[in-house]
Amino acid sequence: MARWRPLGLALAAAIAPLLAAGQAAGCDRPQGWTGGAKIAGELWTVWWRSEPAAIPVGAHFSIRFHLCGPPVGRVGVRGWMPAHRHGMNYRPGVTLDGSSGTAEGLMFHMPGRWRLILDVRGAAGREKLTAETVLE
Amino acid sequence: MPRRSGAFVAARLSGFTIVICVLSGIAPAASALDFTAEEERRILRHGPWPPASWPDPSNRVSGKPAAIVFGRALFFDPRLSVSGAVSCATCHPPDKAWTDGLPRSRGQRIVDRNAPSLFNLRSNRWFGWDGAQDSLWAQNLRPLLDGREMGVGPGGAARLVRSDRELSCFYRRAFDVAPGADDTRIFVDLGKALAAFLETQITGRAPFDDFRDALARNDAAGRARYPTAAKRGLRLFVGRGNCAFCHFGPAFTNGEFADAGVPHFVEPGRVDPGRHGGIRKLRQSPYTLLGRFNDDPSRSTASKTRYVRLRQSNFGEFRVPGLRNVALTAPYMHAGSLETLADVAHHYSTIDEERLHAGGERILRRLDLSASEQADLVAFLETLTEKNPLPEVVEKTGNALCR
Repeated sequence: MARWRPLGLALAAAIAPLLAAGQAAGCDRPQGWTGGAKIAGELWTVWWRSEPAAIPVGAHFSIRFHLCGPPVGRVGVRGWMPAHRHGMNYRPGVTLDGSSGTAEGLMFHMPGRWRLILDVRGAAGREKLTAETVLE
Repeated sequence: MPRRSGAFVAARLSGFTIVICVLSGIAPAASALDFTAEEERRILRHGPWPPASWPDPSNRVSGKPAAIVFGRALFFDPRLSVSGAVSCATCHPPDKAWTDGLPRSRGQRIVDRNAPSLFNLRSNRWFGWDGAQDSLWAQNLRPLLDGREMGVGPGGAARLVRSDRELSCFYRRAFDVAPGADDTRIFVDLGKALAAFLETQITGRAPFDDFRDALARNDAAGRARYPTAAKRGLRLFVGRGNCAFCHFGPAFTNGEFADAGVPHFVEPGRVDPGRHGGIRKLRQSPYTLLGRFNDDPSRSTASKTRYVRLRQSNFGEFRVPGLRNVALTAPYMHAGSLETLADVAHHYSTIDEERLHAGGERILRRLDLSASEQADLVAFLETLTEKNPLPEVVEKTGNALCR
């Protein structure tokens, strides 16, 4: 699997003592998962993994995710290629079951650095959880 | 001043490093004819060739020999046009690498776009310059519906198959049932038989493949046989030229769409909307992978259709073509606006970034290649073309059972 670099992780750690009750301290890897990556935000922490595990260039993939934190209302998933300033040519379909979900129909259609963005909304607020990887 | 990409900056820094090394009397690590490890990684992902292939699950006769025979007969049959004079082969003659050499093709009338070559279609994700079709069988229906191309339509095509003894026999052998009363069903099946035939047209190995494989097995002699100018052009292709962002993988296409900065006026006052129009047509078509004619009940290849996204920046985008056998398929671009590969290299070298309709995207940049660099790029592109003559494609194979 490509190496993923969570963005804003250092900031999240620095302000962790200030976080409101209900935030995602101690978010464990979901039961039955092997692999996957964790992104910690101020309100939510997400464990996510792609299927297939190694994201291919120019082929569809899906992700499964599990959020820790306050109740989740809606999750949007998108990709962004910062160097080219464009996103994906596909809008993934997200299904949410409580705090877990799947997003299908993603495609990173070029090699290079991509940013995966989970846009999480709930009564507690809205937060974008992001990670970056370089696809060869 | 456009921002430069990381790859471009890296290439410039690499050149700067070589200058410093020469001035200080230290030999550079890589000569002009050796590739860095990063460049080698990028080159290797353009193979191996040919790729593995498997039948199209949306087409129940994909790979079936009887359907290939039927599709071949249909491809050359002018009775599938309203005039009785235009066949698929009119615009896609196999002896001209399945294209006609014209900027914009002429069927019943002149159309808006160039006839693309028909090589390596099985691996396409989208079909047509605008991607208005999501399967090869659906793409084959489009000219039969378009009055400017062949225009026979479902009723005319079905009547022909039902009434012609040989075509009727071909149909029965391909689909294991006699042509019935449902015109649309027969019509779609013709698209599927044509697809079964066209899927068999895969380009042979090219000089680049021999070089790429020599690189993979660290075969110095094999690497040395590749022309020096092509090596320099390949370095541009995977490096400073950023060509491989879109022309990615073994087929040299990422299967998606791009604004290549060529005019998309069809005539004064009328523009070709490209991908924007293609997605809109796709969503209105009954012949998609989400519809009733998909033979795959699980819709396993329909994700692209289900999740494709319409954006304003799709306007003026056209499908990124594969580059295999590219030296045989002039003229180039969606409306044949560039006559030669040299013109293509010059176009990307001098592209006017202000004319792009990219909605803020920064993919294409003016490359400012020198004349010799442009020639190197062409030398590389020519090595993507197979050296052996194209195999002859006969219009019909002997099928005594249908005579």
